[in-house]
Amino acid sequence: MQNEGKQKIWKDYQKEIADDHYFYVRSCIRQNFFPGSEQTFLKILRAELNKDIFENPHHTTCSGIGYHSDIVPFDTIQTIVARQFALMTEAGYRNLAVSCITSFGIYNEIIETWKEFPNELEKIRNYLKKATGREFKIPQNVSHASDIIYKFREDIFARKKYSLTNHETGKPLKIVEHIGCHYAKMFPGKGVGGAEFPHVLVGMIESWGGEVIDYPERRHCCGFGFRQYLVMSNRGYSISNSKKKFESMEPYRPDAIASNCPGCPMFLDRWQYVIEEMEGKTYGQNGRGIPVLTYEEMAGLVLGYDPWDMGMQMHQTDVEPLLDKMGIEYNPDLKYAGKDGKQIGQVKMAGCKC
Amino acid sequence: MQLYEQLTQDIRFEEGLNSCMNCGICTAICPAAEFYDYDPRMIAGIVQSKDESQIEELLKSDAIWYCGECMSCKTRCPRGNCTGLIIMALRSLSQELGFFTESEKGRQQLVIKRVIGENIVYRGYCILPENLIPELHPEQGPVGEWIFENRKEVYKRVDANYCGEGTGALRKIPKESLDEIYQIFEITGGFERFDQIEHFSKLKARSMGFSDVDEEFTDYINHTYTTNNGKHNRP
Amino acid sequence: MKHIVIIGGGIAGMESACALTDAGHWVTLIEKEAQLGGKLNQWSFLFPDFTPAEKIKDTLFDKCQERDFSILLKTEVKSVQTHQKKFNIETFGGQKLEADAVVVSSGYELFDARRKEEYGYKIYDHVITSADLEKLLRPGSDLSVAAGKNPKRIAFVHCVGSRDEKSGNHYCSKVCCITGVKQAIELKKRLPEAEIFCFYMDLRMYGKHFEELYREAQEKFDIQFIRGRLSEAAEKMDKSLLIKAEDTLSGRPLKMNVDLLVLLVGMEAGKGTATAAAKCSIEYEDSGFLKTNDTFLFSNFSSQEGIFLAGSCTAPMSVNDTILHARSAAMEVNSWLRKQ
Ligand SMILES: Cc1cc2nc3c(=O)[nH]c(=O)nc-3n(C[C@H](O)[C@H](O)[C@H](O)COP(=O)(O)OP(=O)(O)OC[C@H]3O[C@@H](n4cnc5c(N)ncnc54)[C@H](O)[C@@H]3O)c2cc1C
Ligand code: SF4
Ligand code: SF4
Ligand code: SF4
Repeated sequence: MQNEGKQKIWKDYQKEIADDHYFYVRSCIRQNFFPGSEQTFLKILRAELNKDIFENPHHTTCSGIGYHSDIVPFDTIQTIVARQFALMTEAGYRNLAVSCITSFGIYNEIIETWKEFPNELEKIRNYLKKATGREFKIPQNVSHASDIIYKFREDIFARKKYSLTNHETGKPLKIVEHIGCHYAKMFPGKGVGGAEFPHVLVGMIESWGGEVIDYPERRHCCGFGFRQYLVMSNRGYSISNSKKKFESMEPYRPDAIASNCPGCPMFLDRWQYVIEEMEGKTYGQNGRGIPVLTYEEMAGLVLGYDPWDMGMQMHQTDVEPLLDKMGIEYNPDLKYAGKDGKQIGQVKMAGCKC
Repeated sequence: MQLYEQLTQDIRFEEGLNSCMNCGICTAICPAAEFYDYDPRMIAGIVQSKDESQIEELLKSDAIWYCGECMSCKTRCPRGNCTGLIIMALRSLSQELGFFTESEKGRQQLVIKRVIGENIVYRGYCILPENLIPELHPEQGPVGEWIFENRKEVYKRVDANYCGEGTGALRKIPKESLDEIYQIFEITGGFERFDQIEHFSKLKARSMGFSDVDEEFTDYINHTYTTNNGKHNRP
Repeated sequence: MKHIVIIGGGIAGMESACALTDAGHWVTLIEKEAQLGGKLNQWSFLFPDFTPAEKIKDTLFDKCQERDFSILLKTEVKSVQTHQKKFNIETFGGQKLEADAVVVSSGYELFDARRKEEYGYKIYDHVITSADLEKLLRPGSDLSVAAGKNPKRIAFVHCVGSRDEKSGNHYCSKVCCITGVKQAIELKKRLPEAEIFCFYMDLRMYGKHFEELYREAQEKFDIQFIRGRLSEAAEKMDKSLLIKAEDTLSGRPLKMNVDLLVLLVGMEAGKGTATAAAKCSIEYEDSGFLKTNDTFLFSNFSSQEGIFLAGSCTAPMSVNDTILHARSAAMEVNSWLRKQ
């Protein structure tokens, strides 16, 4: 593989990322599965980078999962999005920092629709006014939270405690990246590095000492498919697509999978467990699974944050193999403990090695 | 109005189809085409033909429910089409006309509306920790079960504000905000879509012999949530 | 004696120059490169009959040598001014020429395959273009090394950078289908063990002997033609490529592993033609190719009187068509000058 072509692509797709004063909008899936990642993001921005990022408790879901499972009409989601913009406008912000990839895609799709069909924008302004009395400005800058971490990746590394290297051998850890489909596949220009060779995670991983592995099914969807996961009898779609990715990355023996999407890391994490249960097959080293990380968790580890503070105990596939390679200090006894240090309930590991 | 004409009213249809040259690029990378007996190229071909009877057949078929709306097809189409967007327009029309209940996959819309739809309107989230009931989500594994059983403490441990006031992950969305969302659904046709789904699903449930003693049609919902006739995949 | 300046010394420019000299005019041929011949310098064997490109080029070159006209190599036009029915041309070298007519024969450029990101050109080691392959097929080049050690499976991808809104080119490049057939046959001759596949959308066998060559490719050389455009390529650990397309005739997504992927790159008007058009103040189409006054009867006339067009700067064309177009340009210039 040669880097020349990639370098050209990365140069061609440089997107504008606001450098301060963000209005934060959360992700439903991440709040459920990776709430610690969102907290970590805010902590990094505020405590490490000294940035102003504002969260208004009145913001809601963008209804994106409803929209992409077709129970929410386009007009409805546009108006809900317009309401988020109104909250941003009222708070005096112009830069949106979006936690979710589905939302990010939707914000971009809607803003582009309004550009192309100005009547649509007028209609939505009226709907919003009528429903809530609110008015809004279109954000000046829409950045995904991973764009922001990408932008400040060197500043983050300057404060590092660990790097993405094997602490014993000093060699870079091998990491495969998975970019959420709606990050740039709809609008390649809206993603750092475009749709085919996004640079957003590659940039972080390389800056933090790791080595990125490009594997054949890198661009393939994780298999969420909205209704294809939501409804139990459709889940074969979801697992078979994730499995295709695992089989494709396995020969490279990756140390971790990193993702910038809310759903993908959850699926890539859980389906490894299911495949092991069903077929006894694992994809990682020493018969274990491949740890799956959100980019915030990856940043947090580099900064020396406690993995359990970041919620990495909420993964089904153990992250310890990665923590050990990086030489991170953690207390295994506190993995499933509460704030008070006492064990929370009981995790039935049911013979799961990963 | 002809079906084709109705489709053209949908902005996503306008965005999704210029003209198709049958190249197969969309099908080649479509995650749905790899799993299901599904071919997005043919979907574009059928709607482009403007053949009313074929379009009607499509609106009643499982085929339009196979797509995962990943939009991978949008990146690549040499004619600037996006079959995923065409699918979205077809699904909207299928629900409007009640055709969705004619297919096994289409009938799943009711359960999605009941869970995701109602979460959005009444809670301000698409999904919630309490939805992840282990029996319905065995893939969440023992850790998922642990989170579910101990959700208050686990979320607290990672500084989420589950059901709490103020900011933070999983915070309670204030009532006045939920009222606004309600109003938005009212004005923009969100509830109309919900009502269509409920209405046609109930008709179908009755005709399939599910009892309506329980207005919720729980049995029908369970049936659509778990049924898979095994005929959806490529032979 | 009338003086005609020809911009672009590919086969179109060479043929026009000879024909105009024969008609009794004085010609100056301006070429920006160090040699005449244009793209033909890089090609190996020409479709449809595998004549060595060298031979055609040399014949044309000899034809030029036998005639008396001036050739300015490594020269580019700085400005063209029209003054009382004359064209005052200044080159970057400082030469000043006065011409009675101008012929633009600035040719085309190859589509930059890196723009088709999903195919990984200049990223994946075993992805090459048809132009790269032409060079590799020339005598003395080591094919096996460039194609990986002994490629067992080779795929050709049609329409790369043509018929594609994403690349910004809506038109068909016309010669790449037959170029693919030609190259597949040539490769099969040298690597008889290899399996060769062509991924096409429509096979445009428009010319004399083209269809026959296609049939020969199937029957004699066992080349497989699959109707489906390539969606993406990705490199595997052993540097082979995983490619994805749909076999649209059976309606099935298809994945294949190949050792070499050849991209049949299209033609673009390119910088050379854009510069020539700008200097001469003549119009071009949305595609970038130069606008002819009319499709049927005036295909050598530009939008400006006294400036004529020859060859592939007006549209993608084969060597054959280029020569014919260049000759007709000379005829049109000649009759036009007589009328002056
Ligand atoms: C991969 C490939 C294989 C092919 N194989 C065949 C084949 O087998 N058989 C066949 O019939 N055809 C083939 N062709 C088509 C063939 O290349 C063209 O028909 C032919 O090159 C057209 O000649 P031309 O003189 O119009 O243009 P060109 O060959 O492009 O020549 C144009 C010349 O003008 C010069 N020039 C450009 N701009 C300026 C300027 N502003 N000032 C001064 N000079 C300038 C250029 O340097 C160049 O020398 C192939 C094409 C491709 C892409
Ligand atoms: S990629 Fe576009 S042109 Fe090709 S088959 Fe699909 S919709 Fe049609
Ligand atoms: S959006 Fe639908 S049709 Fe398009 S690639 Fe994804 S699953 Fe296939
Ligand atoms: S000639 Fe063939 S390969 Fe070239 S653009 Fe036309 S159809 Fe495509």
